Parts: sequence; C-alpha cells; structure tokens
Amino acid sequence: MNKDNQYERNNETKEITKNVILEKSGIEYFQSGEDELKKERYNSALVLYFKSLISFTDLYILQKTGNSPSSHKKRFKITKNNFPEIYNLIDKDFPFYQDSYEQIMSKELVEVIKDDAETIAKKAKIKL
Amino acid sequence: MTQKLLPKKLKLNYSKNVFDIIQFGSSLYKENPKDIDIAVIYEKIPIKQQLEESQEIKKQLEKITRKPIHIKSFDLYSLLNISNFAREGILHDGKSLISNSAFTLKFGLQPKTYIYYSLKNLEKKEKIKFNYLLSGKGGSYGLLKKYGGKLLRPGLIEINPNNEEIFSNSIKKFKISFKIEKIFLEI
Repeated sequence: MNKDNQYERNNETKEITKNVILEKSGIEYFQSGEDELKKERYNSALVLYFKSLISFTDLYILQKTGNSPSSHKKRFKITKNNFPEIYNLIDKDFPFYQDSYEQIMSKELVEVIKDDAETIAKKAKIKL
Repeated sequence: MTQKLLPKKLKLNYSKNVFDIIQFGSSLYKENPKDIDIAVIYEKIPIKQQLEESQEIKKQLEKITRKPIHIKSFDLYSLLNISNFAREGILHDGKSLISNSAFTLKFGLQPKTYIYYSLKNLEKKEKIKFNYLLSGKGGSYGLLKKYGGKLLRPGLIEINPNNEEIFSNSIKKFKISFKIEKIFLEI
C-alpha cells in the first residue's frame, strides 16, 4: 500500500471511529436525560439533553463535511455559515446550558431542549 | 453610551405576544461592553414559542450592532421568580426598546438611585471641590446637570440608575463614605 492510500485509510478509520463515538455518546446522554427527567431532576436533564444535542450536531457536521468541530466557538461558526437551521437551535438553547448551574430549570424548558435533540438526531439519521 | 450601541428608535418586528423588549446589564452604562443583554417578556405563551420568537428578535438586533446579543425569554411570572438572578437588574435598570424609557414606567414606577454621602472628614478645600464636581464651576456643568441628577439635600443625591457607575467612580476619588440605594418613585 502506498503512502497516499495509507493516509486516506487512516483518515477514514478516524472518521468512522469519531462517528461511532459521537453516536454512542449522543444516545447515552439522551437516555441519561430521560432518566433524569423521570426523576424530575430538571437541571441535570437539561444539561444531558443539550450534550446529546451537541453530539448529534457534531455527528451531522462530520457526516456532511468530513470534519467535526473541537470547540463551541468553531461549532457556532460552522453551523452559522453552513447549517443555519441547526445554528438557530443550538444558539437558542446554549444560554440555558450555560445558566444551568445558577438557574432552576422548568420541565417545560427541558422538554423543548429534548425536542431539539430529537430533531438533530433525526437529521443525523440516529434512531433514539 | 447606550445610544452608540443601539439606535434610539428601533424598528423591531415582534408579535402581539411580546409584552416588552428590555435592554439591561453593562451595555447600559459601559462605554465598551462585551455584549448586549436583552430580555424579552412575553404574555403567557409556551416556552418553545417564546424561544423561537426571541431568536427572530435576536437576528434583527444582530443586524444593527456588531456586539454579541445575549437574549433571555421570560413571562411575567418567570421574570419575577426568585431563581431569576437577572430580576433586579431588569426591573431597576432595564430600558424598554419599545418605549425607549425605563421598563417599570409601564407599572407606574420610576426607577432612581439614591447616593448618600458624608463630607464630614474632608477639608474645606476638598468640600468645595466636591461641590464643583456635582454642581459645576463657572461655565462648566457638574455631574448633576450633565447626567440629570438632583441634590435632594446635602448628603443625598438622586440619579438615574444607568449613571450609577459614573457618579460612584467620581465620588470614590474623594475617599469619602457613601451608600447606594436603588428605589422606585410612584409617578
């Protein structure tokens, strides 16, 4: 195998691995969110649903571009420029994630974030 | 200050569900704030709808200013809830972007800030200087005239909430004791 093929192969493996990790963590966060929601621990549920939403966002970006962002700043930039409907969702929900340590979150709000995580999961073709 | 960040007369599109759109926080009194805090107060509608409408308002504001917009959505209940840490800032200092005046005027309340101070430890020369600071000297305006404050009695001035930092920074230079009280006047 020549060097170019080896390089492509490595990249492909890396992408598949990242795909698997993002899908697995997104589902795990989502299910943990479900558990916390049932227990009426709304702040924890909100954080977990938001993390799930971010994993699915990164997975979607990876599927579409071959790369995934390494920070919130890059994630916002990529989605704003390329996937505005996703940007709109994460930009809308991010402040609640940031405020979750100092604000009491309501069940209604948690359900909104859950709904958004499901929307992105669907876009990334993930079955929850 | 504020006027440099957002124009006085804003033409924002919003639904009839919006009770008010309020600017609050450091962008009201800092020359160069990091961002602009906005609270959108809604009639009783679902949170999902509140957030979607707020995003539309945010997009409009982002076209007007280059500063990042931090938008929060409330109904009157969540605005007044004890868990809302921004509550006092919105109520006392908040400026309506719809009426271009203090938010609480909607409820018949004029927010003001009282500054109590004592000059008793100052030398006469310094007391005169302090008086110049507040009331001006010769043709130059003092802080009270420049920023619309009032001397209610010696040792007590009334100012607009957004000018608190200007007054307190100037008073601090005299190394005197002073106390700030946020109040509402019935109108």
